[in-house]
Amino acid sequence: MQRAAHTAVCVVAPAMIRRCLKCRVPLQVNSRAYSVVPTPRDSEEKDMLDRILRVDHAGEYGANRIYAGQMAVLGRSRTGPLIQQMWDQEKKHLQKFNEILAENRVRPTALLPFWNVAGFVLGASTALLGKEGAMACTVAVEESISEHYNSQIRALMEKDPERYTELLQVIKEFRDEEMEHHDTGLEHDAETVPGYWLLKNAIQLGCRAAIYVSERV
Amino acid sequence: MAALLRGVRAGRALRGLSSVVAAPTATTPQCSSLSRGFHRAAPRLQDDFKSDKPPPSSSSTTFHEHYQAHSAEQDNTATASHEGAAAEQASRPNTSYQDQSGEQGEEYETEEQLQARILTAALEFVPLHGWSMEAIASGAETLGLSSASTGMFNNGAGDLVLHFITQCNSQLTEILAEQHKQVQLGQAESKATADFLRDAVETRLRMYIPYIESWPQAMSILLLPHNIPDSLKHLSTLVDDIWYYAGDRSTDMNWYTKRAALTGIYNTTELVMLQDSSPDFEDTWNFLDNRIQDVVNMASTAKQVQSTGEAVVQGLMGAAFTLKNLTGLNQRR
Repeated sequence: MQRAAHTAVCVVAPAMIRRCLKCRVPLQVNSRAYSVVPTPRDSEEKDMLDRILRVDHAGEYGANRIYAGQMAVLGRSRTGPLIQQMWDQEKKHLQKFNEILAENRVRPTALLPFWNVAGFVLGASTALLGKEGAMACTVAVEESISEHYNSQIRALMEKDPERYTELLQVIKEFRDEEMEHHDTGLEHDAETVPGYWLLKNAIQLGCRAAIYVSERV
Repeated sequence: MAALLRGVRAGRALRGLSSVVAAPTATTPQCSSLSRGFHRAAPRLQDDFKSDKPPPSSSSTTFHEHYQAHSAEQDNTATASHEGAAAEQASRPNTSYQDQSGEQGEEYETEEQLQARILTAALEFVPLHGWSMEAIASGAETLGLSSASTGMFNNGAGDLVLHFITQCNSQLTEILAEQHKQVQLGQAESKATADFLRDAVETRLRMYIPYIESWPQAMSILLLPHNIPDSLKHLSTLVDDIWYYAGDRSTDMNWYTKRAALTGIYNTTELVMLQDSSPDFEDTWNFLDNRIQDVVNMASTAKQVQSTGEAVVQGLMGAAFTLKNLTGLNQRR
């Protein structure tokens, strides 16, 4: 009986998939058995998932550029290898989000060139304050990002934890790694930079503005 | 408006469903009840039909087993009209507004589906009456409804034009998806990007040929301020779909530049088509070819410029380094 149902579904499914019109729900032409993001049921869910993925992608892209800026200044110093290691993890995150975005036909944020420059400048300028400055920047940014991931996890858990299990897993894993970076920054004398409180809050304010804008633009 | 467009989708989906399932219905009523039960399992009428199919049916088999008993009584009506799916939903425990509207039975359809049917019927009268309320009224009359049902359409001719555009876009998406499937199954070769874009745009613009006389009127209707958001949305989904099937998976600024380029190509080609009087619109397709070539050339030129720039910068750095060596600035004492 189940097989009959399955064949009935198979008979109908291709026609139905193709008739998915301008509702902007992605056509599952690849129909992979495993995909991180579930197919949205309606345009509201698609919008919500789009926003989440777009801002996460922008965040990882920005973090990438920040570490690139830091490496440009401190790459040959003693902290070079440490920053390189954290940068490599961010590259992995960005790659994962690139895949997810492409698979789900999510529009990337239009402000990417801006985050490109702004991230690099932030990383480079804080690195000019020395190793402590770079670590303080890392602490501030990673704290913002972790907070942001946490609120996304909360939102998804509130909606439907079972539906979004894979996505939640990915976000949790990334959040844990960002927290690691945050702790690494603290271990390496981030708090000893002069003006730590000011610097940290300014950077976090910037991050919050960036998150707000990237969700929408 | 959004409701209308959802209804268009739903209407078409249900009609397609009925045409597909009608065949097995005669021989395997069991099968159709299962599939109908499956469809009823989808919590919402509109998008679930399309989007819930790909996920494994294991999650919904429990639903359809539950509803099979329910559907057994309703299967007796011979028509496989799935416009009745809405009524079937009304028989489920949750109370939807459709349930309470008092309409029951297999023939019930939503207002949006009805509007879609009227507008589709009205398209035949467009060559005669243009894109106007008269065409819609004539369409309603062929369906056996009074011409006063045009009162349903607040946007008048705009509704008709937008409905037509939506229909064309979905036809194109079907064609592209079918081609994509063929390529994936290895039954067809994948085309080069430029060829793919040319074919997609040509296919899409050819859908205007039956209405080409009145198309300028349609375009001016689309440019009315209250229609602009919708027409832009349709244009952007069209361009996004074409690029997706052309294989674009970019997640950076290329996403924007590619779509902007294709939008420009599509719009200018459409305008050229309006003025074209050559046999089978050859001039238009030549124009399209040239524009696509332009874009391709521009892309490769941009790449060349970038690599030349990099080479020049490296050369300058090398020269500066050599100079420093020559003047002895590089030595540490």
